[in-house]
Amino acid sequence: MDRLITFERITIEPPLEAIYRRLGYRKGLTQIKSDEARALGESIEQARSLITLKGAARRLPILSKDSRQIRLPGNLCLESTLLAALLANSQEVLLMGATTGAAVIEAIRQYTAADNLTRAVVLDAAASEMVDSALDWMEAFFSRDLRRESRRLTKSRFSCGYGDLALENQKLFHDLLDLGRFGVELTGQYILVPEKSVTAVAGIETTG
Amino acid sequence: MKKRPLILDGATGTELQKRGMPAGVCPELWCIDHPEVIGGVHADYARAGCDIVYTCTFGANRFKLIQYGETDARSVNHRLALIAKEALRGKALIAGDIGPTGHFIQPFGEVDFEEAVEVFKEQAAGLLEGGVDCFVIETMMDIQEARAALIAVKETCDLFTMVTMTFERDGRTLNGTDPLTALTTLQALGADAVGCNCSTGPDDMARFIGAMKPYAKIPLIAKPNAGLPKTAGGRTVYDMDADEFASRAGALVAAGAGILGGCCGTTPQHLAALRKAVARKKPASPLRKSLAALSSARKTLLLEPGRPLAVIGESINPTGRKALQEDLREGKTALACQMARDQEAAGAALLDVNVGVPGIDQEKAMQKLVQALSVATALPLVIDSAKAEPIERALRVYPGRALINSISGEKEKLRKLLPVAAKYGAMFILLPLTDKGIPETAEKRAVVVRAIEGQARKLGFTRDDFLVDGIVMTAASNPKAPQETIRTVRWATETFGARTVVGLSNVSFGMPERKWINTSFLAMAAASGLTAAIANPASEELMFVKKAADVLGGRDRDAAAWIAHCAKAAGGGKKGAPIEDLPPDRKVREALLDGNREAVAGLVGEALKAGLDAAKLAQEIMIPAIVEVGERFGRKEYFLPQLIASGETMKIGMEVLEPFLKEGLKTAGERGTILVATVKGDIHDIGKNIVALMLRNHGYQVVDLGKDVAAERIVREIERHRPRVVGLSALMTTTKTQMKAVIALARKQGEQCPFIVGGAVVTKAYADSIGAEYARDGVEAVQVIQRMVR
Repeated sequence: MDRLITFERITIEPPLEAIYRRLGYRKGLTQIKSDEARALGESIEQARSLITLKGAARRLPILSKDSRQIRLPGNLCLESTLLAALLANSQEVLLMGATTGAAVIEAIRQYTAADNLTRAVVLDAAASEMVDSALDWMEAFFSRDLRRESRRLTKSRFSCGYGDLALENQKLFHDLLDLGRFGVELTGQYILVPEKSVTAVAGIETTG
Repeated sequence: MKKRPLILDGATGTELQKRGMPAGVCPELWCIDHPEVIGGVHADYARAGCDIVYTCTFGANRFKLIQYGETDARSVNHRLALIAKEALRGKALIAGDIGPTGHFIQPFGEVDFEEAVEVFKEQAAGLLEGGVDCFVIETMMDIQEARAALIAVKETCDLFTMVTMTFERDGRTLNGTDPLTALTTLQALGADAVGCNCSTGPDDMARFIGAMKPYAKIPLIAKPNAGLPKTAGGRTVYDMDADEFASRAGALVAAGAGILGGCCGTTPQHLAALRKAVARKKPASPLRKSLAALSSARKTLLLEPGRPLAVIGESINPTGRKALQEDLREGKTALACQMARDQEAAGAALLDVNVGVPGIDQEKAMQKLVQALSVATALPLVIDSAKAEPIERALRVYPGRALINSISGEKEKLRKLLPVAAKYGAMFILLPLTDKGIPETAEKRAVVVRAIEGQARKLGFTRDDFLVDGIVMTAASNPKAPQETIRTVRWATETFGARTVVGLSNVSFGMPERKWINTSFLAMAAASGLTAAIANPASEELMFVKKAADVLGGRDRDAAAWIAHCAKAAGGGKKGAPIEDLPPDRKVREALLDGNREAVAGLVGEALKAGLDAAKLAQEIMIPAIVEVGERFGRKEYFLPQLIASGETMKIGMEVLEPFLKEGLKTAGERGTILVATVKGDIHDIGKNIVALMLRNHGYQVVDLGKDVAAERIVREIERHRPRVVGLSALMTTTKTQMKAVIALARKQGEQCPFIVGGAVVTKAYADSIGAEYARDGVEAVQVIQRMVR
């Protein structure tokens, strides 16, 4: 199972509802005029054209686990009680990583510098939601295969820096997923650059 | 299929599990060890009335088998085909089943296209040796993988081959291919039947079949799940029983399916009920013998009569473009991809791709560029080369149905390129010239067109499979040439009944103001029935004339595209003019509330000209307006883009106003200095930028230190600027701790200024714990800071 699978182009539609929600839109409360909606649509379209979603994933067997640790091949270990609880019934993990690429980040920087923060904020929100959707997409991709194997993914996934899964684990994800091939780098503070890059782990459970 | 739909089998995996296959094993290897079990499943489906039963080889490719330690994929396929043969004993036909590898193929993934073809060939060879009657390539979500498998089968044998894709409920595969695009690509490439399986239940699938039917020249397949998957008691279950499943069959046949079956969750009972339900339903025959359409991985362009004239973007051609020549020499594709995106945005429907740089390996360059463009643009490609090899290479790896530019009557070109076009199902531009040269008149060109068509027919082409090139010659050197082109286009359209194309810009070569010649010629050709023009979509004049010609030629229903084009050209995305009959100060207020950045400077100037006092305008109109914006944001009536647009409008307005304010009344910085920074290690600073904008608009002088700022620098800047408040932001849990470090260092060095913190992971409790104030957004930050400096 342990082979890196890469996705050079993940094709998804911008998740409009999620982008609007991230920007603070509340149905029934927020009022948007037609020209504002049109401008927003144009910004989201621009984000789409600037974003090239790429991703990588890797299935790894869980060698052993307890309530605090998940041990993976290659003497790798993820320490987190919350993750251990999520993976309580899992025999494998699916590590995932995705990035929007650097072009949209550069556009955000340029718009901010040019005093067009309105557009920068919409591009930022669109990029955040699209890279998150790329992980949903990867989960959907693997779920289909897993169903045929009588397996499934855990209902939720976990990212470094959340709960008690230390951000330092980002290095393990970055290395195992070979995110460098997409131009994603890891800073000394374990932050992925370009900033709209994400990683996550989900468990693989046997059904029935 | 003339009397009733063909019936395929149902699910295999769930049947095997019911009959004892444990979870987590390799189904194919388990079946080799338990031939009686898989044989029983096959036989049950045959007994249920299935005409075709799939071998249990869905995952029997090298990539998947290796995960279970099996390296001989050919032998596994061979043995499983023999097991099927033994179990069925002629009671049903056997389809050699080929499923996805679990990897994405270049250009969408890391697996080399030829490696994928080899993997599928290995599987096909084993199945063929085992005696399968036909092939099925199924559950594909990547059109490129489906193509690789189909090419592999077609290069192995000439058995009937079905291909079914898996569409999500939104009508696209996970990789973004819609049903019509899948059909266009796969039927052109030689699939004998195309359709969909898995993913959805019969109801959604009827929609997908319905979308394919008007354009299908081959039978369509529907092999749905037994409804949608649900989890019950830790197991995946499907909600349709056999009768309910069968009750939807009529709708699938009515939508156009001629071959039916079942996928996940279906059983021999479901298939028996299905067979019974359609026993007297005669499926509709394919509606077409041919289809004039091109596709990429994500889009189809129909070249049907009545459709808008298609502009083929001409920019990706190194002739006369030094930067592109340089890129192609260095093996780079970035510039060409940008050209593709620009032409797509300008309204091109297709993109011409030419890599004709002397001295480079054009075959290699073409493959690389076509793969890069397949990712960069959704537009179908036109493969343009004087040589046959780059064209063949491009067609093999292109994940769609491409157009060849071009095939002429030159003997060598015909001999080399017609078979290539036929193999990959490409359309082609028929260039009516021969080894003797270009015929001068339309009549002579017509003779060449008919001769080339005769050759093409022998390989299965029809008049829907090519576009006749009108051959554009330079008006400057031969004044009669444009007329002959138009006559050729008219003849090809009206008499011969084919599509047409011209390479537009050649007509104006050597003339001044070429764009007018080009657009006039386009209008003339469009009136003569032209299908497509190779041209520059960045030319505003050309695109207006094209759109106008579409309206006048009845090719733009309700002039919808024309109206949209005009709105876009008029800057439809910009704010409208403010209401004219408002007094000047109200106009300024409305501009601020609307975030009308384009108008506010003029409106402030207008208000000042009307005699309004600058200070009064600031204090009584603009500041209350921006406060109201904040209140609307707080009530969720405004969301972030509106808040920021108003903030930026305020900033522009105040910049206009500032010179007119008396000293002492100036708003900029009147409330003191606020220093803001995103802490060390953190690069996420958009929230901090919003806070800075809000603060400036409320009269604060903001010193923005940027992102990833070390504690030492922040403390040095505090010493230098003596801010009234210091704002720190962080998005990550790890960088949040830097806030504490900054405050500790400041205190250590005797700085007593107050701090305010914020960011996605920062909470009020955390702020309290480090001795700082907290704000959750820009509006609240202004409110908290106003309280802090009071």
